Amino acid sequence: MTSAAAARISVWTVLKWATAIAIAVITIFPIWWMINVVFSLPGEPVAINPRLWPTSLSAGLEKIEMIFTQTGYLRAYGISLAYALLTILGVLFIGSLAAFEFALFDFPAKGPIFGIVMLSLMVPTAVTIIPTYLLTSNLGWLNSLQGLVVPGLASAFGLFMLVQFMRAIPKDMIEAARLDGAGHFQIYWHVALPLCRNALVTLAILTFMQTWGNYMWPLIVTTSPEMYTVGQVVGMFNAPLSHQTVDVVMTANLLAAVPPLLFFLIFQRKIVEGIAMSGTKG
Amino acid sequence: MRVLRHHLPHFLMIAPFLVLFGAFFLYPILSGLYYSFHDWNGVREPVYVGLENYTRLLGSRDFSRAMWNLFQYIAITVPLGLTVAFCLALLVDSFTGRWANFFRNAYFLPVVLPAFLAATIWRWIYAPNFGLLNMMLGWVGAEPVSFLNDTDTMLYALIAVDVWVSAGFNMVIILAGLKNIPADLYEAARLDGASKLQQVIHITLPMLAPVLFFVLTYAVISAMQVFDTPWLLTGSSFSEYGGRRGALLFPVMDMMGRAFGGVQFGLASAYGFLLTIAIIAVTALLFAVRTWSNRR
Repeated sequence: MTSAAAARISVWTVLKWATAIAIAVITIFPIWWMINVVFSLPGEPVAINPRLWPTSLSAGLEKIEMIFTQTGYLRAYGISLAYALLTILGVLFIGSLAAFEFALFDFPAKGPIFGIVMLSLMVPTAVTIIPTYLLTSNLGWLNSLQGLVVPGLASAFGLFMLVQFMRAIPKDMIEAARLDGAGHFQIYWHVALPLCRNALVTLAILTFMQTWGNYMWPLIVTTSPEMYTVGQVVGMFNAPLSHQTVDVVMTANLLAAVPPLLFFLIFQRKIVEGIAMSGTKG
Repeated sequence: MRVLRHHLPHFLMIAPFLVLFGAFFLYPILSGLYYSFHDWNGVREPVYVGLENYTRLLGSRDFSRAMWNLFQYIAITVPLGLTVAFCLALLVDSFTGRWANFFRNAYFLPVVLPAFLAATIWRWIYAPNFGLLNMMLGWVGAEPVSFLNDTDTMLYALIAVDVWVSAGFNMVIILAGLKNIPADLYEAARLDGASKLQQVIHITLPMLAPVLFFVLTYAVISAMQVFDTPWLLTGSSFSEYGGRRGALLFPVMDMMGRAFGGVQFGLASAYGFLLTIAIIAVTALLFAVRTWSNRR
């Protein structure tokens, strides 16, 4: 290799690294900035006195304690967690029951039913949200956990994903279990479910991210402050008239980001694969 | 009867899904269609008004504004977002091992944040006096800009947040598509003396076409329903939404405002159907273009 060629390659490489790092800074910085504001003494505004690192761990912890003990944040946290966990349990259970049938068995009207459910994936939320709200209201479910959770349980996306996985289960295994005297539900529970554990975990994580970040549905269903979710409480902190200082508002923001960030750190591969799969198989 | 009994276990297993699907998807759509032909405030009896809700919307100024905003928004954010996502995917793909993982995760980070939080954080970055961006403008001696209150900048401020959030999502899907392209295609091209750019144009793009089409369709459909980010960026509430002079008024915001601020559920239902028709039309157009370009 000539030295000119080597120089060109290294310029190219340096440029590539510089670009990659610069973009990483843009994507990470706002989150880092949030941490930076939270973990610094009040009265040390970051924008006026720019610095790139936090200065006080204890000040940050104090703000977190203040928010949890003196505002409705902790309750909102509990409600959001309950909303997310109940939705996950429901989506996984109801979806896998149906996926088991659609993927592995034949029964009358199977094709049309599955077709309609898949068609619903293309219907925008915009057209269902208001009538779904009216129905939830008629059921007397406004400002309740079931109002948040139940309307979202029949997830067509979840069904689609689980059916894709369950189709890979060999029919022989089902037959073998049946010959051993296992009932229909037992085959589902003891054979099919363990085999698609990976898909269930991925779906659970995606459902968590989606529910935790859902802003629109809680905004209309849980309108009384004692049923607020994290999204709504964060919205209140950030409202122009909230009379909170920047660092307290940022603490509220950071706390909302912690659960999904933790999930991402633990399950990064599953999350990325889950999203990639929904795109390339869809 | 015997057929039914034979298949009973199957129907029992799908029953929970079907009941919920019927109650919270099929029924709402049908009832929404019914409401859309009625004048209804949620309390007194609905009054049949025929197509009046639809004609009123089509003639309303807010509707046209929201649709025009949406058109401008999509015309910029979708091509820009996908180009950024594609470049990010190529960039990440050019690294290997630990660093490829690191950059992929770093670019994906904004996707992980709850959607409402991205808007909230960016509102602070855009803040007029002490916001990060204006501080940086101050360093270079430029005049401060109130990004979220100046009708010239509001749309671009929204698009920046949108690209920041969605690029990582689309990148991950495109990356998976890149991994599926056989390496020997590139090998053969390299032996033929094709440059990197030529390889991207003649191998990567055509091989990736199905994935890109999926990403494009998905991006357009979700952009047409944009709500959280502009709603939060403009600090909207049901009594006042859309930002200064409605510069960030979008159809779903307008629909929600008419339902929960104006208590006009019939009108809002009609809004939902008009938007759905628009989405179906655009999707059909995208599919038609793809079929047409495949045939050529």
